[in-house]
Amino acid sequence: MKREVPIAITFISGVLLVIAFFIPHEPFGSLEQRFNDWYIIVSGFALILGIDSLLLHHWNKVSRRSKDWFHSLSLIIAFFVTLIWGFYSGIKTGHFLSAQSTFRQYFYMYVFVPLQATMFSLLAFFIASAAYRAFRADRFEAALLLFSAGIVMLGRVPLGNAVAPYMVGLVFLIFAYLLYSDGRKEVDPTRRYLKIGGAVLSLILIYPVGWFFLHYTAQTAGWIMNIPQLAAKRGIFVGIALGGIAMSLRIILGIEKTYLR
Amino acid sequence: MIELLRSLTILVLVSFRPAPATNVRAYDTPNDAGGSVIIKWDLSKDDSIVTKYEIIRITGSPDGERVTAGFVLRGTNSYRDVDLKDGEKYYYMVRTWADGEYSDSGITSKPAIPRPQWFHTKRVVALIILIVFGFLFFYYLKLAREGAPLWIRKIAGLEAIDEAVGRSVEMGRPILYILGLGFISDIPTIAGLAILKRVARKAAEYEADIIVPNYDPIVMVAAQETVKEGYMEAGRPDLFNESNIMFLTQDQFGYAAGVDGIMVREKPGAIFLQGLFYAESLILAETGHSIGAIQISGTTSVTQLPFFIAATDYTLIGEEMYAASAYLTRDPLALSTLKAEDIMKVLFIALMTVGTILETVALITGNSGFHFLKNFFSMF
Repeated sequence: MKREVPIAITFISGVLLVIAFFIPHEPFGSLEQRFNDWYIIVSGFALILGIDSLLLHHWNKVSRRSKDWFHSLSLIIAFFVTLIWGFYSGIKTGHFLSAQSTFRQYFYMYVFVPLQATMFSLLAFFIASAAYRAFRADRFEAALLLFSAGIVMLGRVPLGNAVAPYMVGLVFLIFAYLLYSDGRKEVDPTRRYLKIGGAVLSLILIYPVGWFFLHYTAQTAGWIMNIPQLAAKRGIFVGIALGGIAMSLRIILGIEKTYLR
Repeated sequence: MIELLRSLTILVLVSFRPAPATNVRAYDTPNDAGGSVIIKWDLSKDDSIVTKYEIIRITGSPDGERVTAGFVLRGTNSYRDVDLKDGEKYYYMVRTWADGEYSDSGITSKPAIPRPQWFHTKRVVALIILIVFGFLFFYYLKLAREGAPLWIRKIAGLEAIDEAVGRSVEMGRPILYILGLGFISDIPTIAGLAILKRVARKAAEYEADIIVPNYDPIVMVAAQETVKEGYMEAGRPDLFNESNIMFLTQDQFGYAAGVDGIMVREKPGAIFLQGLFYAESLILAETGHSIGAIQISGTTSVTQLPFFIAATDYTLIGEEMYAASAYLTRDPLALSTLKAEDIMKVLFIALMTVGTILETVALITGNSGFHFLKNFFSMF
């Protein structure tokens, strides 16, 4: 019974919601909204469970003097200070988040919001470090990624547009130099001429490619974002949508029951 | 002279009546539960100086009482009137206002009768997909029951689960499982729970600790049950520690900070990021990388996938995550849904390829007859 009843509830709710998707007529039309309302009510109560879990977890750490118990103590203190201050301020001003509320002024605006912003701002540094690893051109795919990312970055900012031809020219120049140095050391004559030929070709291409990027950097960036990038993204979307249907069917039909005991 | 001009200008402005909105038509809102009517009109010729359009409702007959149904700003030529009685006749007029002066054509629309609909005609394609999918699903279900082998491709991220857990145990470190910011109503969260069960079972077999910080209390309860089930399946319910599956906060960056703190303090050997993630994804993945943990990520958030691919060792891309439970359990019933999904994907690819060719041909030849496939889908 412990498994059958939840599976039956899931089946009935799932089938009803699928029907409601196609039938706007009452009583089906408002079913989704009604189910969402019930979910909100249940989740409101579940928050008490969450708080209980949080406090118990940290209280256990404090009472057992576990490693880093001081952090847990600071969390418990911060929790109760916030709770009491919030209630006191709310009762005093009649509104919990009004502009007059000292809780909002001092705690929410000057402590909580800056802390959130601090965490968010870390993202800039993390993007830089992740990009450094992802853009190392050690494989053909990674080189392709680096190249397209470079164009998109240059094409999305005005300064990037202005410097793009010179940067691309420089890259071609370095590439020509590397090919030439490699070619000179090459023993096999065919490979040697191929590499030196490649270096010469890179030098010849500097002007036309530079000209292209002088005029079309933004358009190229737009093309990369709107055609190959979007195509790949939509491919993933189709997979996700079909996977979602398959997963939902498994849940509704009781095949997928890992979330149950 | 200037005073005279000023007075004349004010006089002209004050006595100016804007041209009325014309061609007012009203009709029952399609595909709704009833009780609403849509009103449309052609904008006034003086729309640029119009301050607002007033929609007037007349119930029963054109001579009935006139009531203001609502207002819209200039440039808007439609309005949805709600909370009406089904089966009743409603007539509408649109009044054009400009600086306290108004005008209307005096002609009401033809009557509109709100009615509820029994079928959403714009969802025919969804219904067709569901029927085809259902048919394929039951076909493969039958095959599976008859014992036919159902092959699915190898998913590297799922194959690496045992390796990650094993590595963590060898290092004597706990396993961290992050379910992201999803709620229990989100399918990625349920898919994440399915993978969690496998990880928990492995952790129990190897007697490793598993820590699951949660963003949502309901997900926390589901995660506790899932981990407990995993430990019971492994025959080690004594090792289950409920307080390791705890609630953190319902604030996005508060959650990120809390999980980062756990990573830095506990130094887990393996980190699983499976669920719904937003801007915090890279903060979590990069912190995990900095402590040297093996990381397996998976999400359906397309905007976060590049971050995971860049920062973690293995990534389950979208549908791979949904396939995880079927893949890991090798349950024939579950595998049959994957087969149906694959066939649907082939159909979609074929449809998209044909559509692309037809549209390209239509563009090159200028023959609009080639738009028939596009026109068919535009109907719904």
